[in-house]
Amino acid sequence: MALELSSAISSQWKVISVVGQVDSKSSNDLRDYLQAEVNGAHAVALELSQVPFMSSAGLRTLLTLYRQTQSLGVPLALVGLQTPIVDTMKITGFYQHFTVYASLEELP
Amino acid sequence: MLDRIDSLPTVEIAGFKVRPGKPLPFGVSHFPNGLNFSIYTSAGTSCTLVLFRRGELEPFAEIDFPAAFRIGDVYCMVVFDLDYEDLEYGFRIDGPFDPSRGHRFDRNAILMDPYSRLISGRDVWGVQPDWENQKYHYRSRVSFDDFDWEGDRPLEKKPEDLIIYETHVRGFTKSETAGVKHPGTYAGLVEKIPYLKSLGVTAIELMPIFEFDEFENARIHPHTGEQLYNYWGYSTLGFFAPKAAFAATGGFGMQVDELKQMVKQLHAADIEVILDVVFNHTAEGNEHGPTLCFKGLDNRVYYMLTPEGYYFNFSGTGNTLNCNNPVVRSLVLDCLRYWASEYHIDGFRFDLATILGRDPWGAPLSNPPLLESLAFDPILSSCKLIAEAWDAGGLYQVGSFPAFGRWGEWNGRYRDCARRFLKGDAAQVGEMAQRLQGSPDLYQASGRSPATSVNFFTCHDGFTLADLVSFNGKHNYANGEDNRDGGDDNHSWNCGAEGWSDDPAVLALRQRQMMNAFAILLCSRGVPLFVMGDEFGRSQHGNNNAYCIDSDLTWVNWDLLQSNQSLQQFVAALIDFRKRHPALRVNNFLDSACALGLPSASFHGPSPWRPDWSSESRQLAWMFCADQPDSHLGVDVVYVIANMAHRASWFECPALPDGLSWKLAFNTGDPSGAILSAEQPMDNQGLLVGERSVIILTT
Repeated sequence: MALELSSAISSQWKVISVVGQVDSKSSNDLRDYLQAEVNGAHAVALELSQVPFMSSAGLRTLLTLYRQTQSLGVPLALVGLQTPIVDTMKITGFYQHFTVYASLEELP
Repeated sequence: MLDRIDSLPTVEIAGFKVRPGKPLPFGVSHFPNGLNFSIYTSAGTSCTLVLFRRGELEPFAEIDFPAAFRIGDVYCMVVFDLDYEDLEYGFRIDGPFDPSRGHRFDRNAILMDPYSRLISGRDVWGVQPDWENQKYHYRSRVSFDDFDWEGDRPLEKKPEDLIIYETHVRGFTKSETAGVKHPGTYAGLVEKIPYLKSLGVTAIELMPIFEFDEFENARIHPHTGEQLYNYWGYSTLGFFAPKAAFAATGGFGMQVDELKQMVKQLHAADIEVILDVVFNHTAEGNEHGPTLCFKGLDNRVYYMLTPEGYYFNFSGTGNTLNCNNPVVRSLVLDCLRYWASEYHIDGFRFDLATILGRDPWGAPLSNPPLLESLAFDPILSSCKLIAEAWDAGGLYQVGSFPAFGRWGEWNGRYRDCARRFLKGDAAQVGEMAQRLQGSPDLYQASGRSPATSVNFFTCHDGFTLADLVSFNGKHNYANGEDNRDGGDDNHSWNCGAEGWSDDPAVLALRQRQMMNAFAILLCSRGVPLFVMGDEFGRSQHGNNNAYCIDSDLTWVNWDLLQSNQSLQQFVAALIDFRKRHPALRVNNFLDSACALGLPSASFHGPSPWRPDWSSESRQLAWMFCADQPDSHLGVDVVYVIANMAHRASWFECPALPDGLSWKLAFNTGDPSGAILSAEQPMDNQGLLVGERSVIILTT
């Protein structure tokens, strides 16, 4: 199933919304989209409340994005992560890299 | 960026784009736009790659390797455009079925890749597989090897600084009393790191975590109806894959990341990780066992076979891996290099390690190539290598294991002697003096050091410490074998009542004996090891071989940490004491005097400098001295008096040079508490040591 991807500007943030499961079938689409959208002009907020599951490949895409924003020198926020994904990320060591917000309203 | 030539396919087979692969590395590896599969068989006549989507019963493709894709005895092929996260794969190998010549090829069997880094099929512990329809139970998968270690590396502690805590990943936190979010997993163990840190152990040794099947030889207890498992896991399915069901994320196939995260967190807490590895046999059993991997790949290469083609059984489990065959040797070496480099593992303890020194017909080699390769390997050069220096075929090499200056040993002689000394057996004092110094009688002549000796009273195999002082004999009925299994040479003593007792005198003596054991262990030179929960008196109700029990009997009961807090605090204080006293960690046998003119190790009795070596003696005092590493701190002196007799005795302490005086640190016979926190100065030169008590003094 294809991901639904969209982006919008909200004050200093570029909010990229993802809808659908991120796994090896869809992670390339997400990666290509992010590469096109993330350019260092804005801080990046990835809205993930409509993502029910992220596989190994999906979590790796997040980590790649983190390294990418680091080298561009812009902040990255993950927004609305579902609890089971948070849990998996904590256990496997992905979580500690990210700044996480429960909803877009909480973004500074 | 330029496209590589080899990023494009050359041939199409069965609808898949492929090209000739590379023979190394073995197994599966990532390739531009594809995956490289490489598999070795010397006597196989053809090979087919079998591909499954995750969890499906039937393969979606079978791709025969073209003859042109074989180099030497290795079939290798790149397959393009595979969704590798959703992929499971195996091999079919054709060849003769001729057991008398050692061949057992079976084209109907789908074989696991021996180099699988990720194996699915037993993702969640105890979930019954589809026994009827599943043809391929243990399924090779493709792992991600790109963990973000953030600067972590193996800790490379000096061996003499190790204090090893032996642990079963599941049993450590599976009990509700553990109070963790992810019971029985690598993640659950991470939640207990603050506890390990407060206890003070410097290394954790994990019982087998290579993928195994908990259902191997699983059965129902004939009387109780309880499900019995292969709980310990000493039966490897895949040497490169971590046990999925020990991962909270095993259902998602993320055990590799979860285990790496565990190692990273333990390292951050300054705790080394040692793996108990089983290379002596595999899960394929003998001629009646299943064909899962090696048996169908190249039976004659991987197993030790009799001239008639039957399996040698030096492991006691059906087969014996042919470790000194050059191909198998490479596999073992590749495996350990992988764990050391990819998982940052600090050391390995080799189960039934003398098998690793046998030739293909079982005879012990004087210069075993495998052991030598491991000892001098560039990647393993700072890994601890520790042998269980015996096997089930009767080879016992404690003290004579081919060490190449590198190998340590589980010192079975320490265990036996220390247990007998503890329970007050006659004629132990002389040998005990050797064991306390790191067993120079075993290791000095061959140029080895005290830290060669891993000292222990207890390990997973045998009684827990609480059971060692509560049972005279084993009580293994829960294993469903009418108490026939398990050893009878326990050297245990129940302190006056067999098993459960409410007699305060019996209970008090047991408590004291446990403290005595820890005092002796942690005041011995060499590397101390104890098993999880011993520090607060974990019991297995007298079961000394609980290999098949997955229940409260074997899981750590963390409520004991509260109810037996005094023992736990005593152990933590002793560990702290050991860390503060270099005299206990001297790692050479040179009898050189320290700056005070005192010998490095000396032995005493009720009168100083006059140990009673007679067979009736059950008392021994020892003084260990060492110059402090920082010379202005002077000299470190520890004096231990162990009175294992059933009567109290007056002990005179050795005179000290001017300016120094004895201070009491621990007294297991003090009813008001064994830890003397302020290290009280002594009023006079001697003291009364209670019956079956240990007193520790320092200056």
